[in-house]
Amino acid sequence: MRHSFPSRYVLISAIIFAICIMAVLMCTTADKSPKTMEMRDFVPGEFQGWQAQDTVEVYDRETIFDYINGAGEIYRSYGFSKLVVLRMSRAGQPAIVVELFDMGTSEDAYGISNFSGEGEEADIGQGSEYRKGLLCFWKSNFFVCIQTEQETPEAKEALLGLAREIEGRIATTGAKPELLGCLPDEGLQRESIRYFHIHSSLNYHYFVADQNILNLDRQTEAVLARYEPDECYLLCIRYPSPERAKEAYGSFVNAYIPEAKESGIAQIDNRKWVVAKLEREFIVVVFDAPTRPFAEDLARAVRGRLPTLAPGEVRNQ
Amino acid sequence: MTDSMKTITRRDFLRETGYAALGVAVAFPLVGEGKDRFPDKTRVVLVRDPDAIDSKGRINADVIQHMLDQAVTTLLDKDNPVESWKLLIQPNDVVGIKSNVWGPLPTPLEIEQAIKKRVMDVGVHEKNISIDDHGVLGNHIFLNATALINVRPLRTHHWAGIGGCLKNYIMFVPEPNRYHGNSCADLATIWKLPIVRDKTRLNVLVLLRPLFHGIGPHHFDSTYIWEYKGILVGTDPVALDAVGLHLFQAKRFAYFGKDHPIRPSPHHVAFADIKHKLGTSDLRRIELVKLGWKDDILI
Repeated sequence: MRHSFPSRYVLISAIIFAICIMAVLMCTTADKSPKTMEMRDFVPGEFQGWQAQDTVEVYDRETIFDYINGAGEIYRSYGFSKLVVLRMSRAGQPAIVVELFDMGTSEDAYGISNFSGEGEEADIGQGSEYRKGLLCFWKSNFFVCIQTEQETPEAKEALLGLAREIEGRIATTGAKPELLGCLPDEGLQRESIRYFHIHSSLNYHYFVADQNILNLDRQTEAVLARYEPDECYLLCIRYPSPERAKEAYGSFVNAYIPEAKESGIAQIDNRKWVVAKLEREFIVVVFDAPTRPFAEDLARAVRGRLPTLAPGEVRNQ
Repeated sequence: MTDSMKTITRRDFLRETGYAALGVAVAFPLVGEGKDRFPDKTRVVLVRDPDAIDSKGRINADVIQHMLDQAVTTLLDKDNPVESWKLLIQPNDVVGIKSNVWGPLPTPLEIEQAIKKRVMDVGVHEKNISIDDHGVLGNHIFLNATALINVRPLRTHHWAGIGGCLKNYIMFVPEPNRYHGNSCADLATIWKLPIVRDKTRLNVLVLLRPLFHGIGPHHFDSTYIWEYKGILVGTDPVALDAVGLHLFQAKRFAYFGKDHPIRPSPHHVAFADIKHKLGTSDLRRIELVKLGWKDDILI
C-alpha cells in the first residue's frame, strides 16, 4: 500500500478539478442576468405534474445556431436578443420544452410569429398558432413556443394551460406594426401577411433578386401579402427617409423593370404585370398582377392609405 | 460589372428555368419535354419499390441494394452492378461517402451500407472508405479522398427551401453560416472548393420518406412525411435537386389542394445552374428514367 497516498492524492485532485470545471460550465449555462431571470419567471416551476428543470439554456444572437442550426438566421433577421429554453418533465409523459424568445420589439415579435403562419389560431397572447404538439404565440416583445415530442391528451392539455399561464405572466402587451395599415382589405389573404426588414427575408417569402435591389436593411420595414385573384403579391416598404426611398426606387426599377423607367409599369415574362410606385418614404410594388388595371388599382388603394401612417418613423436603429 | 456579378432576378428564372426554380407548382414544364430542342440531356434515374419499407416502417436492406443496383446500371447503361461501379470508382480510390445525420430524417444505414458494399466490390479496401457527415473536416479519409459519393434524404429546409444534394456539402466548409445568405443561394460555390471539386462520382437522393413541408422552430412535423419508397441517382447534383424539387411541388399541390410554394424559395438550385454553371436545373434538359413501382409516382 506504499503507493496509496499518491494515488489517493491524484484521485482527489482529479475530483476537485472536475468539480471546478463543472462549476464553470454551470455558470455558463445558468445565466442569472435580470433579463434571463425575468424570462425564466414567466414559466412556473411546476404545472399539471410537469416539473421544470433548475437550469435553463440561454442563447444570444451569436449562439442561437447551437440550438436551432441554420434556422437561427430567421430570428437574427429581426431584433432577436435572447432565447431562454426550459425543459419540463413528468413521469410517464413526454417532456415539454418551453422556448422564450426576446425579439426586442413587439413589432418583431409579431413578425416572427407570422413568419410561416400555417397553424390554427389558439386565442393565446396577441396572436398564436397551434399545430400538433407545438403551440407558439407572441405577446409584448416576446415570442413563445411550447412543444412536446408526443401529443398525449395530458400533454396537449398541459401545453395549452401552460401557454395561458405564461401569457398571464407577461404583464404588458405591444403594438402590431403600424405598416400593416397600408394593406387594403379587399382581396387580402390575411394568413399570407408577412412583416420583415431585410432583403433575405423578402427573398424567403418571395424571391425578387439575388442582389439587394430594394436597399432593404434593419432600418427598413416591409409588409408582403397575397391578394386574390390569381395570387398576386403586394409589397409595401417604409424607408427611414424619402431620399432613401427614392434611391431604392431607382435601384429597383433599373434592375427589375428597366423597360419601365418612366411609368413604373411593365408586363413581364410570365405575362403578368408589375407596378412600382414611390410615395414619400414608401415604395409600393405589385407583383404578378393578372392585368394592368388590377395592378394599378391595388397600388392606388395602398397609396390612399399611406397618409394615415406616421411619417418618417424609424424603428430598429 | 462582371458577368458573375450580374443581378439575377425572378425574371431570369421565368425566362430560363420556368417557375420550377422558385418552388411554385403552376406552369412547370414536364421533365424531358422538348426532345428536339435539347438533345443532350442529363440522365437521372428514379427507382421505387413498394417493399423498400415494410408495414412496421422497417427498411428492407436487400430491396435497397437491388434498387441501388438497378438505378446505377441504368444510369451507366450496364448490365452488371459491379461493372457499373467500376466506371465510377477505381480500386485505388480513397472514398468518402458523404451522408446526413439530421435527427428526424438521417440517411438510412441500409443505403449507406449498400453503397459501401459496391465500393468494396470494385476493390477498394475498407480502410480507404469512410461514411461521415459533421466530421468530414476532421476525417482523414475525406481530407485525402479521391472520390466522393453524396447520399442524403430529400426534405424541405428552413433556410434553403430544400435540403438536397447541393446542401449536403455544407459540412465541407468550416463556417456553414457564411453560406446562409439569401436562402443559401450560393451553395454551389462549395462544390468548387478543392476538398470536393471534381471528386463526386455519384449522387443519391433518398426518397424513401421525404419531408415535403416543414413547420415550427425546428422545421419538422411527421405529418408531412410520406412513404414514396424511392431513390434518385445521377451524376449531376443540380439535376437531382431539380427533379426532387419538381416532386415536392407535385406532392404539395396534391396535399394542399392548391399551389403552395416552398418557403423559402429554393432558388439555390437554379443559382447552381444559371450563376455557377455546376449542372442543369432546367427540367427540359433532364432525362428522367423511371423504374419499378409507379403508383402515385407524381412525376
